[in-house]
Amino acid sequence: MEDFEPKIVAFLCNWCAYAGADLAGVSRLQYPSNMRTVRVMCSGRVDPVFIVKAFKEGCDGALVSG
Amino acid sequence: MTRKLLDIAGIGADRLHLAWVSSAEAQRFAEIATNVTESVKSQGKFDASGFAMELDAAEMTLNGEILRWFVGKEHTITSKGDVYGRKWDKEKFEEMLDSVLEREYQKNLIYCAIKAGNTSVREISKRTGLELMRISYLLADMEKASTVAFKGMTDRKPEFAAL
Repeated sequence: MEDFEPKIVAFLCNWCAYAGADLAGVSRLQYPSNMRTVRVMCSGRVDPVFIVKAFKEGCDGALVSG
Repeated sequence: MTRKLLDIAGIGADRLHLAWVSSAEAQRFAEIATNVTESVKSQGKFDASGFAMELDAAEMTLNGEILRWFVGKEHTITSKGDVYGRKWDKEKFEEMLDSVLEREYQKNLIYCAIKAGNTSVREISKRTGLELMRISYLLADMEKASTVAFKGMTDRKPEFAAL
């Protein structure tokens, strides 16, 4: 279990968290690379069904951030 | 609400994280990314094939009109009251939402179990882990909504079909 790398689907709002993630990259902050980002125009766009679908497709965790 | 549903389905609410980050908070985003990864890592791998029926039921529940209607009415019901003029406070509403969520999920789980070929109450109970009484109660409800139908008796056991 030591080298288990989880797959995490991240729904990021274009204007908030996505820009934050972008800035984190530009300012070269270190953070884990387990996130698979889905950029949405608003975190309100994320339907709970998307999250269930993500789990169905075999992700280990999900993050909704806005 | 989705986190509650994940808990009811046995997937665990802790697999879903919600966080608010503004565009200027790169540091905060990096922290959240680290925390979420650590948390999911500690929970181990998620086996989607073992939860296929639970995930189907969860999706049906979230897609269902009852829950969508209920959630959409939250503000009106808690601030103005319902159509009978009764006032509901936030806790009472949450309580109601929890029970609706659980009932709808269990109904959909039963539906999926019948679809998968578990046609008697005992088989459904074995497959879903729900109590026999609860299943009978929900089946009666589902019959009224014509999502399931009574098919007949086999070995003195009532059999059901999913419509």
